Amino acid sequence: MTHIRTLTQEIRKGWSGYLFIAPGYFAFIVFMLVPILFAISLSFYKASFDISARQFVGFSQYTQLMDDPVFIQALVNTIEYTFVIVPATVIISLIIALLIDPLGPRNQAFFRGAFYIPGVAGGVVLSVVYLWIFNPTYGILNYLLGLVGIDPVMWLASPPYSFVAVCIVVLTFTIGQPIILLLAGLAGIPQDILDAATVDGANSLQKVIYIRLPLLRPVLLFVLATQTIQVFQLWEVIYMVTGGGPFNTSTSMVFLIFQTAFINGNYGKASAIGVILMLIILLFTFIQLRLWKTSDI
Amino acid sequence: MTTSNTGNQQEALGNAIEKTTRIVSYFLLTVLAVTFLLPLYWMFTGSFKLQAVTMAVPPEFFPLQPTLDNWTRLFTGTWPIWRWVANSVAVSLLTVLLVLAISSLTGYGFGKKKFPGSNVLFIILLSTMFLPNQVILIPLFLLVRFFHLTSTTLGTYFAMAMPLISSPFGIFLVKQFCSSIPDELLDAARIDGASEWDVYSKIMLPLLKPALAALAIFTFNQSWNYFMWHMVIATDKFQYTIPVGVSIISRTPAFGKMITDIGLTMAGGSLGAFFMIVFFIAFQQYFIRGITFGAVKG
Repeated sequence: MTHIRTLTQEIRKGWSGYLFIAPGYFAFIVFMLVPILFAISLSFYKASFDISARQFVGFSQYTQLMDDPVFIQALVNTIEYTFVIVPATVIISLIIALLIDPLGPRNQAFFRGAFYIPGVAGGVVLSVVYLWIFNPTYGILNYLLGLVGIDPVMWLASPPYSFVAVCIVVLTFTIGQPIILLLAGLAGIPQDILDAATVDGANSLQKVIYIRLPLLRPVLLFVLATQTIQVFQLWEVIYMVTGGGPFNTSTSMVFLIFQTAFINGNYGKASAIGVILMLIILLFTFIQLRLWKTSDI
Repeated sequence: MTTSNTGNQQEALGNAIEKTTRIVSYFLLTVLAVTFLLPLYWMFTGSFKLQAVTMAVPPEFFPLQPTLDNWTRLFTGTWPIWRWVANSVAVSLLTVLLVLAISSLTGYGFGKKKFPGSNVLFIILLSTMFLPNQVILIPLFLLVRFFHLTSTTLGTYFAMAMPLISSPFGIFLVKQFCSSIPDELLDAARIDGASEWDVYSKIMLPLLKPALAALAIFTFNQSWNYFMWHMVIATDKFQYTIPVGVSIISRTPAFGKMITDIGLTMAGGSLGAFFMIVFFIAFQQYFIRGITFGAVKG
């Protein structure tokens, strides 16, 4: 009897639970889940502007991509961007966070804000300034380099430099978030551990290497994960600053998705690229989660 | 005597070292901050320079003959700049409202309600959190086109908000926050005769305020800079948001030549950046809470 009563109670409680999640879950299904599944299915079709005329082609778009030099270039570039931008972001933001940490609250807030502001201004706004800064004839960067005796660089038109240019723009607005995260992590390290180390004669550098970095590990892993996912999705700076060029040397996977889908109208192929990107990010997140678990936090 | 003397000396030396490190770190920080803010400085000052000055070599580090010409042309020219600002504000506010409604209801449902299947449903939701958002843009684009959503202003705003509204991050954040609130509090209200809706709206929502405020600020900024989608679905210049408008200005040849109107572009960029920067300075605490939420305990 009581058993049945608790069961009915469970169901009644359960009903309100379903009601509370219903609107949000409905939106999630319509605007997220179905689109994801639809994109996966679209990757097996040759689909163009007239979507109803799509043709099933199986895995052929995937196999074609493997022989597509532009796709391979985009894939390699995306990985290269990640390997350059992510470590650079982590190291620079760690140095800045360690410099800000000992300051008083007001100065902390000031500098933290100063480094975050380029991020809120957004990639498009920063890109239009950088287009001017990178201009080979009247850009300020070549002028400044000229002052120290470096010859003018064709920033956006010659292969290694266009890649470097994209990295510089991205770095400007990605360091703010890690700095905030690392500062919060540093503030969470108990002062008495650091004091104990001081008593034992450890200098500042030793305290950073042996105490702060190990204790920051979970935050560093989080920063690494979020930054990597962000850089994997890099595209707006490329669209604005280099257009992927010259000769696709600075293109990325998401920029290629954008071009393939919204400029060339090849929705099937673009979806296939999207699915591959999705798989790479999934694999990456999985590895991150494993690392997380072994970090004992 | 000698011990206290060396003690004093050590202390003095320690103070001197501390003072030097402090000066050095202030110096380094200032240099770094200036470097990272230089592009914004260059944009802002550039908006007060005539075209000839923007292309001058050597460049003017500070506009020696500041002009309002670019700003006048920005506000009175052919581009509906205030419409873009209004569009950006409307789209971001609509996104924030929908995200708050959905996240608080769903997050509360998952965080405080026990019902069969809740774990599976939540894991499905969570598994999409790290997926690249661009993947869903193609199907959503086809959806927008099929229903001609961009044929009306309100439809355009909704279409622009669409990819962000079912925010798994927001739902996750609210769920986490809910679990820090004791069940006894909610049960007490139920015993006093509060309905399930009352428990949510009168007890839960006020407690969720700090989390929702952080989520609102985060979403506003995200929506404001959600450039690709806005550009893809905007069909005419009255539908642009500010980032789309700025990118279009920067790509439009001016003065009858194939060159960019740098001054005008910088004025547009400054205006776009201005709103978000003011917004950030006003709500800095919430920005930081939104970023650190979940990543750092405490």
